[in-house]
Amino acid sequence: MIRRRALLPLAAAVAGPGRARAVQAGGYGRIACAGSALTETVCALGQGGRLVAVDSSSGFPAAETARLPRIGYYRALPTEGLVSLAPDLVLLSSDAGPPGVIAVLREAGLPIRVIEDGVGPGAAEAKARAVAAAIGVDGERLADAIAADWAALDAPIAALPRPRVLFVLSLSRGAPLVGGRDTHADAAIAAAGGVNCAHEIWSGYRPLAAESAAGLAPDVVLMMQQSLAEAGGVAEVAAAPAIAVTPAGQAGRIIGMDGPYLMNFGPRAAHSRRDLALRLHPGLALPPLPARPWIGG
Amino acid sequence: MSAGACDLPAPRPADLLPRVLLGGGALLLAALLAGLLLGPAVVSPAGLLATVLDRLGLAPLPAEYAREAAVLMVVRAPRVLLAALIGGGLASAGAVMQGLFRNPLADPGLIGVSSGAALAVVAAIVLGPAVFGSAAGRLGLWLQPVAAFGGGLVAVAVVARLGTRQGVIGVATLLLAGVAVAALCNALLGMLIFGAEDRQVRDVNFWLLGSLAGARWPQLPIVALLVLLPALGLLGLARPLDALALGEREAFHLGVPVERVKRLAIVLAAVAASGGVAFSGLIGFIGLVVPHLVRLGLGAGHRVVLPGSTLLGAAVLVLADLAARSLAAPAELPVGVVTALLGAPFFLWLLRRRAAMGEDA
Amino acid sequence: MIEAEALTVRAPGGRALLREVSLGVAPGEVMAVVGPNGAGKSTLLRALTGELRPAAGRAAFAGRALRDWPPRALAQRRAVVSQRVALAFPLTVVEVVAIGRLPWLGTPEAARDEAAIGAALRRAGVAALAGRSYATLSGGEQQRVQLARALAQLDGAPPPAALLLDEPTASLDAGHRAALLGLLRDLAAAGTAVLVVLHDLNEAGFVADRVAVLQAGGCVGLGPPSEVLDPGLLRRVYGLPFRRLVDGALLPDFAAARSAAP
Repeated sequence: MIRRRALLPLAAAVAGPGRARAVQAGGYGRIACAGSALTETVCALGQGGRLVAVDSSSGFPAAETARLPRIGYYRALPTEGLVSLAPDLVLLSSDAGPPGVIAVLREAGLPIRVIEDGVGPGAAEAKARAVAAAIGVDGERLADAIAADWAALDAPIAALPRPRVLFVLSLSRGAPLVGGRDTHADAAIAAAGGVNCAHEIWSGYRPLAAESAAGLAPDVVLMMQQSLAEAGGVAEVAAAPAIAVTPAGQAGRIIGMDGPYLMNFGPRAAHSRRDLALRLHPGLALPPLPARPWIGG
Repeated sequence: MSAGACDLPAPRPADLLPRVLLGGGALLLAALLAGLLLGPAVVSPAGLLATVLDRLGLAPLPAEYAREAAVLMVVRAPRVLLAALIGGGLASAGAVMQGLFRNPLADPGLIGVSSGAALAVVAAIVLGPAVFGSAAGRLGLWLQPVAAFGGGLVAVAVVARLGTRQGVIGVATLLLAGVAVAALCNALLGMLIFGAEDRQVRDVNFWLLGSLAGARWPQLPIVALLVLLPALGLLGLARPLDALALGEREAFHLGVPVERVKRLAIVLAAVAASGGVAFSGLIGFIGLVVPHLVRLGLGAGHRVVLPGSTLLGAAVLVLADLAARSLAAPAELPVGVVTALLGAPFFLWLLRRRAAMGEDA
Repeated sequence: MIEAEALTVRAPGGRALLREVSLGVAPGEVMAVVGPNGAGKSTLLRALTGELRPAAGRAAFAGRALRDWPPRALAQRRAVVSQRVALAFPLTVVEVVAIGRLPWLGTPEAARDEAAIGAALRRAGVAALAGRSYATLSGGEQQRVQLARALAQLDGAPPPAALLLDEPTASLDAGHRAALLGLLRDLAAAGTAVLVVLHDLNEAGFVADRVAVLQAGGCVGLGPPSEVLDPGLLRRVYGLPFRRLVDGALLPDFAAARSAAP
């Protein structure tokens, strides 16, 4: 049981939900963060030291997040666990939940900021600006840097041929769970100059019948590194019935990338875009991006 | 016949009752206090006292307790009370189902409550956005409870209908109908999950594991109405259920209106159990294990088992929820996981003990 | 008191289990029902308790058709001991006997629950078992506990009361049989109407004022034991020669039955 003495009294403990405290520049010393892109953005803004807790998906940057208590899966947030940390700001991805818990947190007077969990071009810098505004620091430099890095890749990637990519969220239950449109993976593939071959068939993640996989004819299978390892590695995935019948399976082109890096559209979005483009187009040369302090682990 | 020389008055259920009420009440009170005072956020006894005095209008809240008061009033108190209500309702419904089915393994899930509620909630989670559009998120706070409650009741109604022949509820048929309806609900649930997005599937999973994290004051009167009232009504069935323990024929000869008792028991238990899962998701093992605990300690007479189960069930769920919010703090375990984690091994021990004692009837 | 008029009961398939049986048990009278397996003895008992609805004829208690009796009022005047009662839960003996007081719940008689239970336990000879778990008792002990439960139920009944028993001696040893039959006589002497299904003809002859002989759902003999328990009738009913011993006891002649068999 973790007990923490409150460093600051709960901001609006007595005032109730109506009167949140006005933002003072740099005034928040205890930030709880649910959503890996938000955590990365806080750290990229140089404010990682203010974090007091993060959700289970926030593992980057390791140096700053490893020491922090975890508040669990961001769609199953705790009430009392969060309150016990006495945060003076709770940053929530717009995807966080459940709604009932968020309602209780608001009622308990926790100052909550919900940041839109966007994807695609412009999403990362929008998050940078929104997070910076929420925690009361200047986010323009970070946003501009992300935007510049992203834009530097636009022309080279637009000129590339577009391989067909199948994003497999998990293979553990037999039928591959495949990402269609309206997914972070779909946006990541498109940004890196690929075609999500499941884009047309459905939205969200659904199991794909092995027999239908051949018809999608992916050149590349993209997976999160973690699920690739769980599925037994490249050789095992390539041999899975649903994958073996595809060009990707026959050529053994199975790519694994770190999940949040690949598709959280946080401050590393441009670098992730470049990495994925290079993996999708072997032998390709892309202009290097400037070394940014928030890229290194 | 030969006059028994032994006139030792054996303890009768009626004698036990005051002790059960006193002991169970004390236990529940202790659990409530523990639930209010313990947990990842620090609340001191002085803070609790100051909050109570403030709420009663006896003494204004000292400023240093403002934070503790907020934690207590907004987060903990509604949650602890919700746990007590739901735990009591589930345990009392479980005890009644076991009495009605003359089967110690029965619980409200057996007549379709959990599977019906689960199906309806999953439908709300998966189809809600399609039906209600962007309003589904806002409606969600009430959509899921309403769906769970309604789904549980509808499933029980279907099961009861299938188990009734010429106005007589066949208990064995009812059980089989319950199994069949549960299987059907699970199949439909599988269909919905198949068509659901990964995120929705995770939401469904968390609902199926149960949680009291979303407890809020406005829910309490509703739950009290749906859970506490039926649970109190079920207490009135103690004597007829004792008679039913001898068999339906014996109960009939003792003047028990058997069919009316069965219908009443099913309706009240279904309402209590459905009302319980409505705001918390599925919480297993309370309805199954708590009545056994009471029988083990206090005997099998329903005049003891029913109030005992209600009080003990309330205390147990309060403590299980305390564990759920404390063990992985600041994250939170689903409370259904905690009850299953505690309940399943206990239940296995119970089964082995029964088998060893030759009560495997 | 316990009355059957041309009582006919059919199985769900329509087969007649009981055909136009007419009999009556008066207050203070013990009537034994005998007959071979499947003759309809238990069916008759269940029809006379109201548990089975007759297809034709009338089953009545104290001059009033059974279905017109409020269940509770009936239970306050008439108790039933069934053949075998298995418990769903590990109740103790005293708890089982206490269940017999259910019809008196909420009446002034309920004040006497404690005394009635104690008296019933003693009368049925199970007081020493009071704290034991019912499930751990022998079959004979369980039967006596059920009898005690019925006695507790009738304690305080406005006379005349009635007691119906289905083979209550089945699992009892000779000593307890004698005690039980004596108890039935005592109850009758106090004005209770007793209807008891028995297998043993000598028990019937000893305890009963009148005996009803059932065969294939019909009543083929009704009267005092000395008239009805006649070797000729019994031979027709059981398909077996009987011998009457000098003291009046009846003995089935197994040896004759064996030699007569083809």
